[in-house]
Amino acid sequence: MSQTTQGSRRTARPRHPSSVGPPSQKPLNARRRRRVVGSPWTPYIFLAPAVLYIVIFQLVPLVQEIWLSFTKTTLLNPTASVWVGMANYFSIFSNDNFRQTLITTAIYVIVCVVGAIGIGLLIALLLNGRFPGRAVARSLVTVPWAAPGIAVALIAVWMLNPQYGVLTKLLRAIGIDPGPSGVLDNQHMALSAILVTTIWQLVPFVAVVLLSALQSVPQDLLEAASVDGAGRWTVFQVVTWQVLKPTVGLLAILMTIWSLRRFELIWLMTRGGPLGSTRTLVIDLYSQAFESKQLGTAAAIGMVGIVIALIVIVGGRFVARAAGRES
Amino acid sequence: MNAPSRRRARVITVLAGIAAGALVLSGCSSAAEKPESSSAKVSPATITFAASTLGDPGRGPGLQKLIDEYNDSQDVVTVKPASVPYPTFGQTILTQMGGGEGPDLIRFDMPEFEAAAGSQLLEPLDDTIDAKKLNLIPGPDKYLKKDGTRYGVVFENSNYGMFYNADLIPEPPKTFDEFEQTAKKVRSGDVYGLAFRQTQAEEAGVWQDIFNYVLGFGGNWSDGKKLTIDSPEVIKGLEQYQKLYNDDVIPKGADAATFRKMFVDGKVGMELNNGGYVSHLSSSNPDLNFSVARIPFPVKKQGSLIAPIVINANSKHKDAAADFITWLLKPAQQVKLQEVLGASSVATPTKRSAASLEKYPFLPELDKLTDSGVPQIVLGYGEQTPDLRHIIVTEVLSSIKGEKTMKAAMQDAQKQAEELVGK
Repeated sequence: MSQTTQGSRRTARPRHPSSVGPPSQKPLNARRRRRVVGSPWTPYIFLAPAVLYIVIFQLVPLVQEIWLSFTKTTLLNPTASVWVGMANYFSIFSNDNFRQTLITTAIYVIVCVVGAIGIGLLIALLLNGRFPGRAVARSLVTVPWAAPGIAVALIAVWMLNPQYGVLTKLLRAIGIDPGPSGVLDNQHMALSAILVTTIWQLVPFVAVVLLSALQSVPQDLLEAASVDGAGRWTVFQVVTWQVLKPTVGLLAILMTIWSLRRFELIWLMTRGGPLGSTRTLVIDLYSQAFESKQLGTAAAIGMVGIVIALIVIVGGRFVARAAGRES
Repeated sequence: MNAPSRRRARVITVLAGIAAGALVLSGCSSAAEKPESSSAKVSPATITFAASTLGDPGRGPGLQKLIDEYNDSQDVVTVKPASVPYPTFGQTILTQMGGGEGPDLIRFDMPEFEAAAGSQLLEPLDDTIDAKKLNLIPGPDKYLKKDGTRYGVVFENSNYGMFYNADLIPEPPKTFDEFEQTAKKVRSGDVYGLAFRQTQAEEAGVWQDIFNYVLGFGGNWSDGKKLTIDSPEVIKGLEQYQKLYNDDVIPKGADAATFRKMFVDGKVGMELNNGGYVSHLSSSNPDLNFSVARIPFPVKKQGSLIAPIVINANSKHKDAAADFITWLLKPAQQVKLQEVLGASSVATPTKRSAASLEKYPFLPELDKLTDSGVPQIVLGYGEQTPDLRHIIVTEVLSSIKGEKTMKAAMQDAQKQAEELVGK
């Protein structure tokens, strides 16, 4: 009896014109949706694609690299690996050239990060001011960032050519003689040339990010500090820098990791030479893997790079947290 | 059998006869147009042939024509050329081969050939190649066997000679002193007496260049059993290379592409290079007045660019690849290949055409060098040549940049090399 009543009620209920279709499908879909959304598996389903991606493209290669670093494996016969334990690590750390590579990498990373952030901050502060043509200047400043690394490297090599390079001529004109072979073949100048090129390419990105951070500095705070008699430097130190600090911290971590990984620019400009003076970790890794064909040694060098990157990330977070507690 | 059945049987026999006749005739006509592949057992396949020279503007089109001729000569195998640029050729192909892939046929340089043969990445060719029957030139051929097994056959053998701009140098120098004096005499303004590679970025090129100085002064990197990098002869040869570097007779810092362009433009007097350079010069500037003579160093030995053709052990069509090699080694094809390669020689003795000899009268002089040519590998350490090359070139460059004396540099190189090879 009650069933009949309920049934008649259902048929009597007016239907929305848009809900065309079998009468029982909508409630069924909704029930299914509720079941899926409310299920304890829901978060795992949403996470699955990302987890799969990380496992397949990052975790498996990482585990493989760790394993490779404990083996003697050649590029020409990668399936015939021989377990050698820590031998690859002992071998690279006992090599003077590798120690030099670590020093070169450290110089490259530190100068790149400090240089790019320092110059980028200056440009961001300039672009944050009001002057005619500001919009054009802001657009122009991003050009080096938009240029592909390979094009930048080739242009730099061309400009530094010992015979006809415009920069070589300029250097000679101001009394800096790179020698007959030019800057890129001078073991005392090649790294500087690569650093200048890298910073030139990185600065726009830093400037644009810091410019957006600068625009979030509360105007009333700046005005209040000025009214209280604070000078420009004090205003920057007390107000602006406090707002910029987290962004600068993030940029420093990103720049460090990018600089540790940078390959194409250095390879195309000097291939790690002359005399190993521009040989960074990634150049050494590539050279071991594809020139010396020693995949095991290359994997050990890669692991050293990963450990350095992890130290930078953990150290950066630690510093950021400590700074947060202090403020 | 009744009459209709007999008639039917006769008709069937006649039809079968006609069909067989037609088949034989069609077979004959097909054979006349496109003869079958030289080996009857070859399965139909499309194979790839990788060579850096395929991209060479001087020799590439000629090689392509030769491949097309092979493809047109039969219906069973199609060879597709794969051009990989020289600077990355070895690395690209060896990486592919290590991964179980790669082209079916490859024209290798010696260091890569040694590395691939040592890692069992090449197909043994003992069953395909009969050196005596084919009359292979023994000088370069002896380097293509490893532990008694043949892994390749000479595709190109290019001897190193002294190329000179005849407009700048009418008479070629005959001794090293004359060589140095001529270079100094020619040097003026933007014209240089000599050119060679001297930067780390061109490590493989520097290796080829210093080889001639080491051999020309009686040295070698090893005696086949032990390394002799710091031997007095090697040091003496490299000191001559350093002397010329310091003499201000070369365009320092210029890479090979730059100074070769300068040679073509008449801005460089002399260059030590291999026979393949002849085609490059002729195609770049047909009016260039140049010639080639023997390198005027005390010992009559010089580098030789031996480039074997090999079959990739990963190839799924080894029989088809072998068929191409067999075809290429036939006398008619060897003559054509030599014409394409210019001043280089090929696997078998061939007679140069009258037209070639008229165009390049110095060719017999270059051909005579085949027996005194030494491949640019460290004998006895073929597989480790790229690593040894890196050590030696780095030390040589550190010396010419004034970091240490050549003797100290070679002593350091010997020490590092011994650590590498485990002696």
